[in-house]
Amino acid sequence: MTEEELARLCDFLYRRTGMSYDEAKRYYVERRVADRMGATGSTSFASYFALLRADVQGEVEQLINAFTVNETYFYREDHQLRCLTNSLLAEVIKTKPYDASVRIWSAPCATGEEPYSIAIWLLENWPQVDAYEVEIIGSDIDTNTLGAAREGVFGSRAMMRLPPDLLERYFVAQGEGQWRIIDELRESIRFTQVNLVDRAETATQGKFDIIFCRNVLIYFDDASRRLAAENLYDRLNPGGFVCLGHSESMSRISPLFEVQRYTDAIVYRKPMGIARV
Amino acid sequence: MPLIRKTPEAKAAPVENLPAAGILQTGSAEERWAAARAAADAPSGARILGEALLHEQDARVREAIFTSLVRIGSETSVDAIVPHLRSDDPNLRTGALDALRAMPKAVTPRVHRLLHDPDPDVRVLACDLARAMPSAQANTLLCETLDTDESANVCGVAVDVLAETGVQECLPALARCAMRFPDDPFLAFSIKLARERIASEGDARRMADRHP
Repeated sequence: MTEEELARLCDFLYRRTGMSYDEAKRYYVERRVADRMGATGSTSFASYFALLRADVQGEVEQLINAFTVNETYFYREDHQLRCLTNSLLAEVIKTKPYDASVRIWSAPCATGEEPYSIAIWLLENWPQVDAYEVEIIGSDIDTNTLGAAREGVFGSRAMMRLPPDLLERYFVAQGEGQWRIIDELRESIRFTQVNLVDRAETATQGKFDIIFCRNVLIYFDDASRRLAAENLYDRLNPGGFVCLGHSESMSRISPLFEVQRYTDAIVYRKPMGIARV
Repeated sequence: MPLIRKTPEAKAAPVENLPAAGILQTGSAEERWAAARAAADAPSGARILGEALLHEQDARVREAIFTSLVRIGSETSVDAIVPHLRSDDPNLRTGALDALRAMPKAVTPRVHRLLHDPDPDVRVLACDLARAMPSAQANTLLCETLDTDESANVCGVAVDVLAETGVQECLPALARCAMRFPDDPFLAFSIKLARERIASEGDARRMADRHP
């Protein structure tokens, strides 16, 4: 790809997703574009870009899927899950009547390990799980991974942090190192396609008490990070929490949230006393 | 299984579609927040947001105004934000700087003018904005600052940025700046560090060229 072609492609991707790439990531970009050119039978960048701009056979979505990084595993960064049951949920239910619903959003959820982990963790570690309607939604921009998340079949690499008794309780062996999450759990989580920098798309998800938004903001540039932070803020109930990845800090992105330091994790909170929209 | 699943419609919230200008002037904080966010998609959004920024007192709404101006990323956006670099309110000043940093393409053509602002505090912030510019452009502007700016503070920040972006060609301007402020030991120290760093990077580059 020439410098100009790379710039055009990066600009296109940025406008569609908020993901920011430049000359420094040329190898990463070229590899993915080459894959898509091969898959679409394009013989030049110009012909591929024309096909992309016309979104022939959903090529925009295919390209976005090729650019999103989807490797994850069960119980990743489990200190935040401990924080969820040791501290965050107690704060959330303080203001809720018994039997109320507690809404948790995993965005991006990739192939579903995170929302399923949250569900298993709650069932195992939150004594009040039966007292509230816990609604877990997993969202991602990548439709391929959402399909895999709905399918709920995982390889041994994704299960490396799960104790054997949990594996037995929540999964059914499929052979050849594959495990399928039990139907009851699979059917209790809703998966939706959402672009975190799209205000309208995020708004359709309703309000949440806790949002897990881990390891995605690092892929955005400053402008998209700010926008995503405001969208997350908008999606939270007053007093709701955002959990970011261990290398991410909301304080460097937006002053909207209060930093909350708990024993198990640092999280970010929408101030109380902000009216519900 | 106590976990439940609901249909998307059960909790869906409508997207705000508000006549931004009026609400930004008279609405509640919550309405102004929503209107500021919606204004990024409105015709004349940057102008409307710029006017709102002049009187908005709520920090949260201001943040939404800044983000929408960044999202628009036009010259009008930059013009709406720049005057707030002179604000006495440190939160507003920082918010303005952060917003400008987030729109480097739109800001780059204005950095030269900001580096010649009569207010040295604005010139200090302009040096910081130059950090996000293409290095060659930033180096030219900052070397000019080292040669002409009367404020040691402004030159100090320019030196700080050049320590990151500078190349061999910047060394003479750094030396001249040290001579212009002979009684400022901190600036002399910063310049010494910057020169050493640029010189060592130049050596490393020459070595790499000889042994690819």
